[in-house]
Amino acid sequence: MSEELWNRCLARLEDELPAQQYSMWIRPLQVVASADGGELILFAPNRFIVDWVRDKYLERIGELLGELQTGALPTLNLKVGASRPSRPAVTPAPVATPAPAPAVNAPVQPPRETASTTTTAKHRSNLNSTFLFDNFVEGKSNRMAAAAAQQVAENPGTHGYNPLLLYGGVGLGKTHLMHAVGNGLLKRNPNAKVVYLHSERFVADMISALRNKTINEFKRFYRTVDALLIDDIQFFAGKEQSQEEFFHTFNALLENGQQIILTCDKFPKEIDGLEERLKSRFGWGLSQPMEPPELETRVAILKKKAEEARIDLPNEAAFFIAQRIRSNVRELEGALKRVIAHVRFTGAPLDIGLVKDALRDLLAIQARQVSVDNIQRTVAEYYKIKIADLLSPRRSRSVARPRQVAMALSKELTSHSLPEIGDSFGGRDHTTVLHACRKVKELREGSTEIEEDYQNLLRSLTS
Amino acid sequence: MSAQLPLALRLRDGLTLETFVAGANQAVLATLTPLLAGEPGQLYLYSDPGLGRTHLLTAAVIQAEQAGRRAVLLPGRELAALPPALLEDFDHFDLLALDDLDLLAGRPEWEEALFHLYNRCRDRGAAMLFAAAAAPAAAGFALPDLRSRLAAGPVFRLQPLTDEALVELLRGRAARRGLTLADEVAGFIVHRGARTPSALLALLDRLDEHALARQRRLTIPLVKEALNW
Repeated sequence: MSEELWNRCLARLEDELPAQQYSMWIRPLQVVASADGGELILFAPNRFIVDWVRDKYLERIGELLGELQTGALPTLNLKVGASRPSRPAVTPAPVATPAPAPAVNAPVQPPRETASTTTTAKHRSNLNSTFLFDNFVEGKSNRMAAAAAQQVAENPGTHGYNPLLLYGGVGLGKTHLMHAVGNGLLKRNPNAKVVYLHSERFVADMISALRNKTINEFKRFYRTVDALLIDDIQFFAGKEQSQEEFFHTFNALLENGQQIILTCDKFPKEIDGLEERLKSRFGWGLSQPMEPPELETRVAILKKKAEEARIDLPNEAAFFIAQRIRSNVRELEGALKRVIAHVRFTGAPLDIGLVKDALRDLLAIQARQVSVDNIQRTVAEYYKIKIADLLSPRRSRSVARPRQVAMALSKELTSHSLPEIGDSFGGRDHTTVLHACRKVKELREGSTEIEEDYQNLLRSLTS
Repeated sequence: MSAQLPLALRLRDGLTLETFVAGANQAVLATLTPLLAGEPGQLYLYSDPGLGRTHLLTAAVIQAEQAGRRAVLLPGRELAALPPALLEDFDHFDLLALDDLDLLAGRPEWEEALFHLYNRCRDRGAAMLFAAAAAPAAAGFALPDLRSRLAAGPVFRLQPLTDEALVELLRGRAARRGLTLADEVAGFIVHRGARTPSALLALLDRLDEHALARQRRLTIPLVKEALNW
């Protein structure tokens, strides 16, 4: 079995299968041949893929190998796993070592082949070392929550602050504050066993502990932490067995004065599918809401993030973005990343014009696609003529010019073919559209007035 | 076990980054490059159909694989018919590309699975590429947690190509197939045909067949004859 044989087999499969099937099922397979060529192992990412490939494709793979090779065929074996590890894994920082966690988050779980519940249960803080109090931008909307978090970082386990529950909408910094507490605890006591995890991971780990009969290790692990940080507890909803286990863990920790920090997207009492006794326990300590940041805080966040990216963000540009993206910090940062990508790429100065350019469609009232109808309506309105005029055979200048502009805009803003555009303008020929586009280009170059009209229309159609 | 065999990459009609005609989408490529070099992060692309989303994602996955990383392309069209359980352990890839993501929007179990996959990938420092028909806020996702995460990185709308770029695309693709396509013939096709790359390439398929069957060069009369224009 040679590399080349397998490559030829893949080439045939790629020809035979629809591209999407090939991408989904065949390309991710990793292949290892035994030294004597007697065995060929195909590694797939999980059990589901293994079963699927075995059902649908394995026979064909065998046939193809038979066609492509004379002589003895290797035995085909499908397995879950990977022949090579993914990226040089960042070594997770065990809690016992005070070394700062790597910039990139530690993997939550080692690659499949070495994974087992016991290794998962080894101390792995999973803390993101970039989420600190230092780079948390405070404002009216989150000052109380930040103060409470700071208090817990300095005096963990204090009655009245345990559990600390941070709740609020998405992208408001709950997870940031939670990690900041964890990092603060580690700084104070590098030997502290601080564990962060998403509620989904708690559920998944518990299920695999039950499956692997390691539930006692699981319990012991979570009950011996100094601080347990669980994100998005609303995902416990409807998962009764996990709630039960979490309830006991929770009680054990609280009894011994170990700190619990939780985040939730709403006030826990409002979560459907969460047991009453858990809801009430969650309220025993301090529950702090986090609200969407007000304008000044949004500006401060943008300035801070820009500074981290070593980009000079002028105030007026920061205000421009902050005034338009109000929903949450995550999306605010997403918009800034887009602006930064634009700056890096174009090398143009960062001003409002560039921001508008970079965020053009984000700033659109809705991310609607521009249609020819829409263009005709907007152009007719702009030139104060009727849509019917645009579609009519009339050729007077007062109608023909707007019509040409509308055609040029249709070509620029939609993917319709020129014959289609011609059709939409009262059944005109595509050469008429082509002529209109050339004419408008020429006019825009020759007349500032027409260029201005065109830009105005372009702006109102795309923002 | 002997040394493992790299995946064969027969590049179906050249779905590589080199053959991607970027036109006004240079900033997309600039954002993509560090992700392919192994930096963690994300990129969300949306556009009308046929503008090259799948091309970019496929090319990205192939390039990442060639650089020795584990990469996978998950087509939403394929996923939509299957249970979300199949995403298990996909967070072990270095680069994950999800195409036609909007086809999974509005399905609570899928949205939650994608949300968890996102969190795990982010925690592992993986790169994630998303492509959909609309921007994160307009693609129909019901789970706010997922929606805001998709918008947490750069979001780009793929811009349509200019006629010049479409001509370049068509000629480049023809050349890969060993066809000579003169500028004016390519221009003729672009002015008459649909102006999306995928529609033009479908025309090229038909022209290719027609020219081959008749052993003729691709001229304007031949194009007219082949496409009934």
